[in-house]
Amino acid sequence: MAQAETLSHSGICVHDLKEAQEFYCGVLGAELKGAVNFFTEDTLNGRSVHQSYALGDYLFAVALAPDFMPMPPVDQLRGAMGVRHAFTVAKARFDHTIESLTGSGVPFEGPVDHPENGPFGASIYFKDPSGNFLEILWRRDEDASTAPIPVLETG
Amino acid sequence: MGIIDGFSHLVIHVTDLDRSEAFYRDVIGLDVIGRDLVNDQGPNLLLAMNSRQRVLLVEVPEVVAIRPNSSTIHHAWLLTMEEFDRTRARLKKMGYEVSDSRAQFRAMGEHSMDLFDPDGHRYQIQAYAPEATAVLCDNTGPINCGHLDDFPVGTVKSFVKGKFFLVRLDDGFIALSRWCTHLNGLLSWKKEHWEFYCPMHGARFDRRGMPRPLSHTPIPLRVHPVTITPDGEVMVDPDTAISRDGFSADHVVAPEPGAHLATEAREGA
Repeated sequence: MAQAETLSHSGICVHDLKEAQEFYCGVLGAELKGAVNFFTEDTLNGRSVHQSYALGDYLFAVALAPDFMPMPPVDQLRGAMGVRHAFTVAKARFDHTIESLTGSGVPFEGPVDHPENGPFGASIYFKDPSGNFLEILWRRDEDASTAPIPVLETG
Repeated sequence: MGIIDGFSHLVIHVTDLDRSEAFYRDVIGLDVIGRDLVNDQGPNLLLAMNSRQRVLLVEVPEVVAIRPNSSTIHHAWLLTMEEFDRTRARLKKMGYEVSDSRAQFRAMGEHSMDLFDPDGHRYQIQAYAPEATAVLCDNTGPINCGHLDDFPVGTVKSFVKGKFFLVRLDDGFIALSRWCTHLNGLLSWKKEHWEFYCPMHGARFDRRGMPRPLSHTPIPLRVHPVTITPDGEVMVDPDTAISRDGFSADHVVAPEPGAHLATEAREGA
């Protein structure tokens, strides 16, 4: 047994919260769960301006970067600015996901196949409008663990 | 659900796969699945948590752990309270400085530590003890809040003993627990905005205890039974906290001697 149950959330930075909301909620189907520091009390308490989005069973706390973050090259779709978040979709829905991303006009790289001795099937790679790298894949072990993962609303 | 089902894995760039394997295996406590099982942009190592989530370490020549000009970039591990206590002891034994940069924002039972990996990736290690979500009571017994004539319509009075708000609405009295229904943060009354505010996570509730939009929780504040004595004294029993699904007129006690919380309301929504 590992000593950690799960990852509950990540804090990421974007340049524009409205643009990020349109991308995560409009394109990826995330749900807007919270908005912090749209009120004076939060500012006085030293909180960052951020929203939280539930993406399936994961929570992104999305904060405004205090200054302009360097962007990856425009034509680079597969990569990581130190980190990349990968989301899973059932193999049966993978083609639908690709069609949906294409329909939304989001450029992506892939599908890229993974070695057959590993747990991953194939991945597509893209990034959000602020240059955060993302991935959607289907997993060979998708039935291995179906226990619900708690989405914790923090931040 | 959109076009994804859930979270799969976090890809972390590292400069030394062996060094990082030791950190994620021995310090964080993840299980090693194997090396080079994934078609990625360098030698890689896959590790497991107890959920289906994975961490993929990818070795690259140079790492940008936190994007320049960004802030607050971090990833949070969720542990059981037992795992958290073991991890804290393990980190101390290994000589790690353990701190909580956001201690001021922790609600009851909410535990967290900050940790950096060898390449500077920032992590939060968190756990929730039962008191984070338990219904909390001070065991004060019934509290005499004063005569009903002392509460003009619109009054909101905060009681330290018993930790509740007594609110005089147009149609009567409602006693609201001050403990936030998201996690147990202690609410304060923001007169300027006519709402209750949680300094822990920013949840906000109106004077009926209903959550404002985007308040982290859809659950209304709990109510306490209010009784008006024949002499017109307003009595609140903060030791009884009634959970609600929504607002009902039954939760409000008429401003008349002898009035009390309806039986239906006492049984919960």
